[in-house]
Amino acid sequence: MQRKPSSLALGLVAAAFVGQAALQGGTIFGTWEKNYSPGKGQLVSGGLSPDQMLFALSGFREMVAGILWVRADAFFDSGNYDAILPIIRLVTLLDPNEIDVYATGMWHIGYNFTDEEQRSDRRYIPSALALGKEGAAKNPNTYELFFETGWMWYHKIDDDYENAVSWFEKAKLRDDMLPARKDLLSMAYQRAGRVDDGLQNYYGLYDDASAVYKKDKAFGNHQHMDTIENNIDTMLVRMVQRGYEAEKQGRPLDGYDANPPFDVGFSVKATVLEPRVIRFEGTWNVLPVGTRIRVVLKDQDFKNAEPAGMKWDFSDNVNLDPPKNETFMQDQLYVKNRRFNRKVDMSKDPTMYPFTGQDYVMEFFYNPRSAPPHIQDKFSWNGEGMTDKNFLNTNVRPGQRVMYTTLKLTRDMILRRGEWQDRVPVIKTTNYQETGTTKQDEDVILNVPSLRGN
Amino acid sequence: MRPILSIASTTVGEAIRRRVLLIILLIGVLFLAVAPGLGVLSARSETTVLRGMMLGIIQLTSAVIAIVLTVYMLPNEIERRTIYTILSKPVQRWQFLVGKYLGAVSALAIMMCLMSVVMVLMYWYQQHAPISEIANLLKAPMMYFVQMSLLAAVAVMFSTFVSPLVNFFLSGGLYLVGSLFNPFFETLSSNNNTPAFTKTVAKFINLVLPNFANYNVQNPIINPQQTIGNETQYFINVTVYGVLYILGLLVVGILIFDRREV
Repeated sequence: MQRKPSSLALGLVAAAFVGQAALQGGTIFGTWEKNYSPGKGQLVSGGLSPDQMLFALSGFREMVAGILWVRADAFFDSGNYDAILPIIRLVTLLDPNEIDVYATGMWHIGYNFTDEEQRSDRRYIPSALALGKEGAAKNPNTYELFFETGWMWYHKIDDDYENAVSWFEKAKLRDDMLPARKDLLSMAYQRAGRVDDGLQNYYGLYDDASAVYKKDKAFGNHQHMDTIENNIDTMLVRMVQRGYEAEKQGRPLDGYDANPPFDVGFSVKATVLEPRVIRFEGTWNVLPVGTRIRVVLKDQDFKNAEPAGMKWDFSDNVNLDPPKNETFMQDQLYVKNRRFNRKVDMSKDPTMYPFTGQDYVMEFFYNPRSAPPHIQDKFSWNGEGMTDKNFLNTNVRPGQRVMYTTLKLTRDMILRRGEWQDRVPVIKTTNYQETGTTKQDEDVILNVPSLRGN
Repeated sequence: MRPILSIASTTVGEAIRRRVLLIILLIGVLFLAVAPGLGVLSARSETTVLRGMMLGIIQLTSAVIAIVLTVYMLPNEIERRTIYTILSKPVQRWQFLVGKYLGAVSALAIMMCLMSVVMVLMYWYQQHAPISEIANLLKAPMMYFVQMSLLAAVAVMFSTFVSPLVNFFLSGGLYLVGSLFNPFFETLSSNNNTPAFTKTVAKFINLVLPNFANYNVQNPIINPQQTIGNETQYFINVTVYGVLYILGLLVVGILIFDRREV
């Protein structure tokens, strides 16, 4: 005989279910979503097989992320870089707190996709920055990804230093930032033209280092204090030699190293030797080694491009498949004995340099802020000590004196097609003189001052 | 209370003697022992990978043990007719079911403790971590225990009216769905394009289903950089949630078992 369920039992069931539902809906889900959620609102889908997806979402996502990262390591060792990209994306989606994967992933995306001549594919840089931004937002309690993103601006993009400053400043706000890394903020301030801020940062770091040394007389602490002191000394001397304070106060710069401005005498000739192979030759009157002139060859209508630059952080999405129909080649022209001569071979990497558009522009750009200190000692931070009779530009970088010029090319020229099949395209600035015709004896040799006083 | 404790202790003894459970446990322990080897392979992320692997192994092994342990409990008693001997004594059916459940959970606790000890030893051997770090690592297995107790309650409830094979898939399926639904629900809620009706249905399911995902608390333990707001309160909430759900499931199981002809 079957018994009727007692009302007490039914009441207990009802109370238990209502209680659990109230807890789940009232407090648990909100806290879980904030603290323990797999992807902060994102479902991992693209690239995951159903079984991986199932495992990942069933509570084993950190385990899956760990296994994937181990696999990525193996790919990295074997040089299979293409296979690593999707894994990096999967791991960071599965486990947004894998800081090392974000940091390594950024570096990998930004630096390691290169052509046969080790020029990196700059079409990936927006993705590297987006990964850094995402990582920093998901790990706001540690300095690491703020610093790494700043480093991408400072070192890889090597331009637009205000962005580097902004990220380094955010990193400095985090307690765990290593003291030695804070020094870099001063360098970034200088490159951003904020010399006073750079000095103040050094002073602050020196005070901190002194306080640490007072508490702990370890050799390393003393050494760190000495390093900052040395940096401050060097910076003060440079500020004086370059006439920084005089300029700030509106006094004449006579007698300072940055005066009179030196004419760098830039000229260039670009010769398309073979399809996708260009030789750049030209002049730069600065004798000491260390000058790198930036050359960019890109589609005339390259998206998000600006004169002498680019909106590198235009996207918040990590797109591991950059536009395949756009070309962006960037290289450095190294100056030796006041001339440069560099062959850029893009023929072995058609996917990186597709040349599908019709019109292309070559940009030549020199910014004293990126120059090494011994050259900056003459040119100063904003190019006060530099000029160029033909190509001085004060518009592309407001407040700075830079060298900037462009030359145009067509697709047929680069690929040596059509009318250029049998003719060698040569594009040059009007002031370019063939080697041998330059009047060497009349060249002005730039006497770069040094901190030693000679 | 005494009949319940007697049945529970007998169940623990039975569980410990079952070879299939011991084999699963052995596999889990072996995986835990080799886990440090995988951590070394990962550049700069040894600790993260090691923690993730170890906690994942404990969770996966415990889930399999919880299901295998409980799906056969009642059907075996009925098949071997030992249930008649027990129920002919002054033992109520609800006492029998509760005793069986508590025995299963106790056996599960012993096995999970063993795995946690192996994990701690391996972690200490690999990392020479301080006690506070190891204590932090143990939070996850504690939450997994509540999770597995809930899973065991689901399986015990189903075992009162379905065959072991069906129960295996039902409980395993519910565990997967319960683990998947929180992230799925979160995606639906945060997506502005989701229709209001779908959101309501999803909300209802989220309130009714046993949410095993609530106990997947390993992320901040694996990644120490993540700060958790009021962790203690959360752990208390999910434990109370689990206890209420288990209570409801056991009462439903008792009601069904009470009406069943054996």
